[in-house]
Amino acid sequence: MINIDIGATAVAVLTLFGIYALMAISLNLEYGVAGVPNFGQALFVSIGAYVAGLTYTRLLPLLAGEQVIHPCRATMGAALQLRSEIMATQPVAGFINLGFTFLIAAVLAGLVGFAVSYVTLRLKEEWFLALVLLVGGEIIRIVVRGADDLICSHNGISGVAQPFYFLDDPRASAVLFMLLALVLAALAYFYSQRLVHSPFGRMLKGLRENEEVTRSLGKGISLARAQIMLIGSVIAAVGGVLFALNTGFVNTNDYVVTLTLDVWVMVVLGGVGNNRGALLGALLIAIMDRITQIAAIALNMSGSPIEFNYARFILFGLILLLMLRYRPGGLLPESPLTTDAHEILRRVRER
Amino acid sequence: MPLLELKNIRKDYGGLRAVDDVSLHVPEGAIIGLIGPNGSGKSTLINLIAGTTDLSAGRIVFDGDDISDFSSDQVFRRGIARGYQEPSLYFKMTVLDNALLPVKGQRGEDPWYAPWRRYWRAQEEGHATSAIDVLEQVRLLNHYDTLASDLSGGQMKLLEIARALMGAPKLLLLDEPTAGVAPKLAYEIFQQIGRLRDDHGITFLIVEHRLEILFDFVDYVYVMHLGKLLAEGGADDIAAHETVREVYFGD
Repeated sequence: MINIDIGATAVAVLTLFGIYALMAISLNLEYGVAGVPNFGQALFVSIGAYVAGLTYTRLLPLLAGEQVIHPCRATMGAALQLRSEIMATQPVAGFINLGFTFLIAAVLAGLVGFAVSYVTLRLKEEWFLALVLLVGGEIIRIVVRGADDLICSHNGISGVAQPFYFLDDPRASAVLFMLLALVLAALAYFYSQRLVHSPFGRMLKGLRENEEVTRSLGKGISLARAQIMLIGSVIAAVGGVLFALNTGFVNTNDYVVTLTLDVWVMVVLGGVGNNRGALLGALLIAIMDRITQIAAIALNMSGSPIEFNYARFILFGLILLLMLRYRPGGLLPESPLTTDAHEILRRVRER
Repeated sequence: MPLLELKNIRKDYGGLRAVDDVSLHVPEGAIIGLIGPNGSGKSTLINLIAGTTDLSAGRIVFDGDDISDFSSDQVFRRGIARGYQEPSLYFKMTVLDNALLPVKGQRGEDPWYAPWRRYWRAQEEGHATSAIDVLEQVRLLNHYDTLASDLSGGQMKLLEIARALMGAPKLLLLDEPTAGVAPKLAYEIFQQIGRLRDDHGITFLIVEHRLEILFDFVDYVYVMHLGKLLAEGGADDIAAHETVREVYFGD
């Protein structure tokens, strides 16, 4: 049998929940609220991760007052040792590096999200955008993988430590990183709730419901869509940075289409258009991820020939199909009364 | 000077000429009827004015500006709102959100300000106050938090008019505002239209098949047939017009 450390498992699940919540909130704003089918969630998440791969190898040594060692090929080991040492002994350099990582990732992803959607959404069918992003994510992944010197091709970059790695107690360090993920997720949640309750949210819902009518009611719909794609992409990229830090590893293999599908499952399961649903979906998937991992290890140890990790895909596909068939609104369907205008009207009437 | 003037406008779809050299005037504050048999080009004409369809030739002048090349959002912002033949509400949104969405110049629609309520709350209160007036007028105020899809057919038509009004238009284009509505309610819809003209000075250009109701309310009527203007005149003239009776009523 395997021993399960309940405390460590809870921390791991909650950390993953925070990271998934960022991704799910991002997709919920884009698809759930504004109706933009972003099938390139992996692309925007990967931007965050790749930027982390670059800053940890190129920027971090400079911030710590060291020479940059080429992270790949012959000097791979030396470079890994250097960044591990810096992360273990120079927390300030680590935090500044993380700050830059978030900033660069957010700016880059925001620009890509805005530019791509502004160009492609002028096409009649928004599903063109879905295809462009689906293929675009894969192209970027192959290009990054092909560029030998960027993040070392198929070797990837290891030793992308989370910022609390310098603490002697690994438990405390894990708990603090969990808190960082949860705080960022909470910020994204409250921010997107405010958006959904505002006139901007109302316009986005209008876009989702009927693009033609929204245009003929005087709204600049291409701009509004590009704006929500910018916001969503920034949130996804922040999630991507944390995702890479959580695994301690940046590898292009992690950012394939299945990641995009995972995020879609979270949103469809939780409730399309409802940020609380996105949180619930993220939590359920984080828990299921852990369960399938444990089950896979347990099965493996008991000598079973079944590779349980693949059962996960079957399970997620099944969830998606069943939800779309029996509960298309998700577990927590969107409330029609989201905008603050309803409460404002009530108050105005009471006067 | 008329509020809206169409000068020799034309629309070709491949080999088909849907609108052929039509010129007409809509004076400010008037209710103008646009009638004609199915396929005569009335709806195309509405789409051309509203900017949802591009002109093949001719000019459209509105309130002193040439709006021939305007897109539909520009046309709306310039002061022309429209209704649709099929109800085109936001069915999964409430009556209130439907009404507030078209309001122009909303500060809270800018994503920079949207998350911070203090930047747009006062403005939204003002908009809610106008929504109360407009919804009251079409007797939908008590349904403000109802989903648009839960309204009756007649209420949907009224909400569509109310929604258009919230954009503070000078001219309202309506494409069969009583389609699919019971006769009694159809008459009420036209009474509302008359009241909106009288109280708010809004100008109307209305495509309508229920001539018996339309003729009670219009100031002037244009008749289209096969893409061309066949006749124009007061309601009585048109009702008595021989060629019109021939193509329209088949007698």
